[in-house]
Amino acid sequence: MNKTIGIILFVSIFAFSGQAYTEETAETIDHSGHNMDHDDHSGHNMDHDDHSGHNMDHSDHSGHDHSDHDDDHKLDEPMDHSMHHSEDDHSMHHHGDHHHHDDSHIMDHEGGMIMGQNFDELPSSCDSISEEIEITVHAGREYANKFPGTVFAFDQQEWRVKPCSKITWHFVNDDEVRHQFMMHGLPRYLYGNGMFHLESTGPRTISGTMIVPASDETYLVHCDIAQHMEKGMKGQLVVGDGGEDLTSIPGLTPYAFPDTYVAEDLPQVSVNDDEDTISEQVTEFLNDNSPITLLMFIGIILGLIIMPVISRITLLRKKEPEEST
Amino acid sequence: MPIRYFIAILAFCSLSSAAIAQTSLKLPETVKVSPEALNTEPVCDPKIAASWREEQVIDGVKIQASNRCSPDNPYLIAAAVKGTNNISMGTLMETHLSADTIIKTDDIDGDGDPDRIIIKLEVMELNGPSPDFEGLIPTFDIAPGIQPGAWVFAPKTRGMSTENFESVRANALLRLPSPVIRVEQGDIVQLVLENTHYLPHTIHLHGVDHPYAHADGHVAGGDGVPQTSEMFLMPGEKRIYEFQARQTGTMLYHCHVQTHTHLAMGLVGMIIVEENRPNNWVQTLNVGAGQVRHPSVAIQEEFDQEYDLHYHAMDKEMTEIIQKYNDPRLIARDMNRLYDITDATEDYYMLNGLSFPFTLRESIVTVEPDQKIKLRVANTASETLAMHTHGHKATITHYDGIEQNPIAQIQRDVYALAAAQRLDLTLDTTNDGLNSYGEGLWLFHDHREKGITNNGMNPGGNVSVIAYKNYLNELGLPIGQGADISKYFSEEFHARTLPIWQDLDEVGTLGAAAGQSGLDPAASTDLYNLLAGLLLGIFIYLAIVKRQMITQVASQATSKLKGSKGSTNNE
Ligand SMILES: [Cu+2]
Ligand SMILES: [Cu+2]
Repeated sequence: MNKTIGIILFVSIFAFSGQAYTEETAETIDHSGHNMDHDDHSGHNMDHDDHSGHNMDHSDHSGHDHSDHDDDHKLDEPMDHSMHHSEDDHSMHHHGDHHHHDDSHIMDHEGGMIMGQNFDELPSSCDSISEEIEITVHAGREYANKFPGTVFAFDQQEWRVKPCSKITWHFVNDDEVRHQFMMHGLPRYLYGNGMFHLESTGPRTISGTMIVPASDETYLVHCDIAQHMEKGMKGQLVVGDGGEDLTSIPGLTPYAFPDTYVAEDLPQVSVNDDEDTISEQVTEFLNDNSPITLLMFIGIILGLIIMPVISRITLLRKKEPEEST
Repeated sequence: MPIRYFIAILAFCSLSSAAIAQTSLKLPETVKVSPEALNTEPVCDPKIAASWREEQVIDGVKIQASNRCSPDNPYLIAAAVKGTNNISMGTLMETHLSADTIIKTDDIDGDGDPDRIIIKLEVMELNGPSPDFEGLIPTFDIAPGIQPGAWVFAPKTRGMSTENFESVRANALLRLPSPVIRVEQGDIVQLVLENTHYLPHTIHLHGVDHPYAHADGHVAGGDGVPQTSEMFLMPGEKRIYEFQARQTGTMLYHCHVQTHTHLAMGLVGMIIVEENRPNNWVQTLNVGAGQVRHPSVAIQEEFDQEYDLHYHAMDKEMTEIIQKYNDPRLIARDMNRLYDITDATEDYYMLNGLSFPFTLRESIVTVEPDQKIKLRVANTASETLAMHTHGHKATITHYDGIEQNPIAQIQRDVYALAAAQRLDLTLDTTNDGLNSYGEGLWLFHDHREKGITNNGMNPGGNVSVIAYKNYLNELGLPIGQGADISKYFSEEFHARTLPIWQDLDEVGTLGAAAGQSGLDPAASTDLYNLLAGLLLGIFIYLAIVKRQMITQVASQATSKLKGSKGSTNNE
C-alpha cells in the first residue's frame, strides 16, 4: 500500500519536473547570450531589471505606494554612480577576466550577489560538459500558497539535471524583500565552502552559472535568511539519479520534526433558518430534550443481553434441585 | 533447627541495627565541581580583532577608541556614518550590510552633510526552530547558553544569517536589541521596512515627529497601527515610512502589530534625532546600542562620550512559543490567542540585548575622571525600571526627548523609567563626593532585584559597570578586586548546575553536599522494620514447620493443666 503510493508520488514528481524542465529549456531562447554575465555594464542591466520591477509595482499597487517608489528611485540613482567604479566590483564584472573560483564573488550596487560562479572549470569527475541548460527559479511568498503551513517558497521544489551539466540559473525574486538561492555540498576545490549562491535584494533577477559534478547526488537549495528555509523556501537539485532525499521540502519530503496538530473547536456557521424543516426541528428537539442518552442506550442493550442469560441460569438452578429430589 | 542458628540470626540483627545507627550519624561530604567539567567560554570573545578597540579613521570617518572586550566593528560605524553608498567596497565587505542598507544623498541645506537618508530594516528571528534538527537557528545567546526566541529589526543584511556556513550562531548584525537609529533634525528620512519575517509587522515611530498623512496627500507609511492608520505589512512586502523630524530627542520605534507580544519579542529600538549642525554626519545605526563611537557635532560640543542604554525584558514562556512550533499558524494561535500577558512575568532582563555576564563584554561605560558623558536611557520592558548608579549621581536633563527646565534638573542615583520612557542623563565623573565618589568599578543596574537575575538566578540581568580606565586591562576587562568572574561564563552556571559558592574558601563550606552516604532517618527506620520483619518471618516459619512439635507441646501442656484440674476437682 505505502509502496504503491510512494511509486505514484515518485512518478508524478518525475512527470512534473520533466514538464518544468521542458518549459525552462524553452525559455533558453529568450535568455540567449546571458547578457548579465558577459556585459561589462551588467550592473546597469540589473538596475534596468529593477526599474521594470518598480514599474510593475506601480501598476500592481493602489496609488498610495506611488510616490514612495518615486522617492526611493531618485535616491537610489546617485548611489549607482558612486559605487560603480570601486575596483573590486568593476573588475569582477568582466567576464573576459575569467571567473576564478577564488574571486568569483560578485556584488552589485544594490547588494545583489553571485558567489561560486563557474563558467569553465570542469569538475575532476567530468571529461566534458554534458549539456548547457538554463533554469529559471522564482522565489516569493505567492509560491507558498499551495503548501499550508509555509510562508515562503520557490516555484519548484526539485530540479533534475544530467551529470556534468553546465547550468545558468536565473533567479527571479518576486517579493519586495531579499531572497537567496543557495546551494550546498558542491566540490570545495571548485566552489568556496562548497557553495553556489545567488542573492537578490528585492524584486529583480540575478543570474549565475555553474557546472555540476558527474556523480549522482542530491544538493540542498535554500534561502538562508532566518526562517525562510524553515518556513518553506527549500528545494533540491538532483544530479543524475540523485542521492538521498532531503527532509522538509514542501510537498516533496516529510518534515524531520513535524508539529503536532489538534483540531480547534472553531465557531461554525449555524444552520440557516429557511432550511429549518420539520425533521430538523424534531432532531433538534430530540438532541436538546431526548430522555435517551448514549449511556442509557448502552444500558438498555446490556439489559437485553444479560436478562436471558440470567433467566437461563436461574432456570437451570431450579431444575437441578428438582432433578436431585 | 538447632538453637545456635537462631542465636546467630539474632546476633546478626542486633549488630546490623547498631551499624545502621552508626552510619546515619555522619553528614554527606562536600562535592566540588572541577573547572574542567564546565563548558566555559572565554570572558572576552577571542574572535574580535584587537585593532577594533583603537581610535581610528576609516573612509574619512573618525571613530573613537572603545576599550572593551567587544567593541563595535569600526567598519560598520564608517558605513553607518557615510552610508553604504559612500564607502569603499573593501569597507562594506568588512560588514554584513547590504550595499543598499543606508543611502545618504542630497545636501539640501548646503551645510556639508547629506539630508536625504534611506535606512532599510529587515525583520529577523533569533533562536528560531527548525523542522530538520532539534536545535535553534540562528542562535543568539543573551548569556551563556540562554537563547530566548526573539524578533528584531535588523539592518538589511547580505549573505548568510549565520557567522559562516558551519556555524549556527547569528552573524553580528542579527542581534538584540533592534539597532539604534540616529538622524539629524530636518533630514528627510525614509525608513524602509522589508518584512523578511513570516508574520505581519509595522513600524510605529514613538515620540518622533512624523506625519499621519503627508501634506501633499500621499501616504508614506503611517503611524504603524493596523487598526487605524495602515494595513499589516505582510511577509515579503516592504513599506516606506517617511518623516522629517522638527524636534530633537531620544525616542523609540517599534512594531505596532500585536504590540503586547511583538514589542516584547524585541521589535523595538531607540531612535535619536540629533540637533542640526553644519558638517554633521551622524552615526545612522548603532548596532547593539552602547557607546556611540562617532557622536554628532552637537554632542561633541558638550560631552566627552555618548552611550545608548536600552533596557528590555522578556517573558520566558512567550519567547518559547516560537520555538515550540514550526508552523506559523500554530505560532500565531499561541501568540495571539493562547498567550495571556496578564498572567505573565518577565524572566530575562537585558541591557543592550544582553544579560550579565555578557553585559561586561560590551555594555560597560568606560570613563576617565573629569569627563561629561551623555547617557541616553530607554526602558522597553513592561514594568517601571529603577536604574541605579553606584558611586555617581547623574543629572536628568531630558524626559522623553524634552529638555527639563535647566533650573529644575535634578540629580539622582535611582532613575525611574516607566514603560517606553526615555531619560537623558549627564554623568559627571568629577570626584566631589556628589557627582562621583572617585575612580573604581562602579555597578549600575536595575534596583528591582529581579532585574539583576537571569530567570530568577543572581548574578544576572541588566547589571553593568561604570569602569574607570585605570581599572580596565588591555582587553577592556574590569580588573576586579572581587570574585573570579570566569565561572559566570559557563553554561552550567546558567543551567543552575554549578554551586557558585564552592570556591569561597578552601574547604568549600558552602559548596554542594553529596548524596546521602549513610542512611537518612527514614531509610534506617525502614531497615529496622525489615530486620524485625525478618525475625518475625523466621518465627512464623518455625511455627509452621514445627507445628507438630508445638501442638504436641501445647496438648501436653493442656493435658497437664486438665490433669491437674481434674485431679483437684476429683479430690
Ligand atoms: Cu528568502
Ligand atoms: Cu510585529
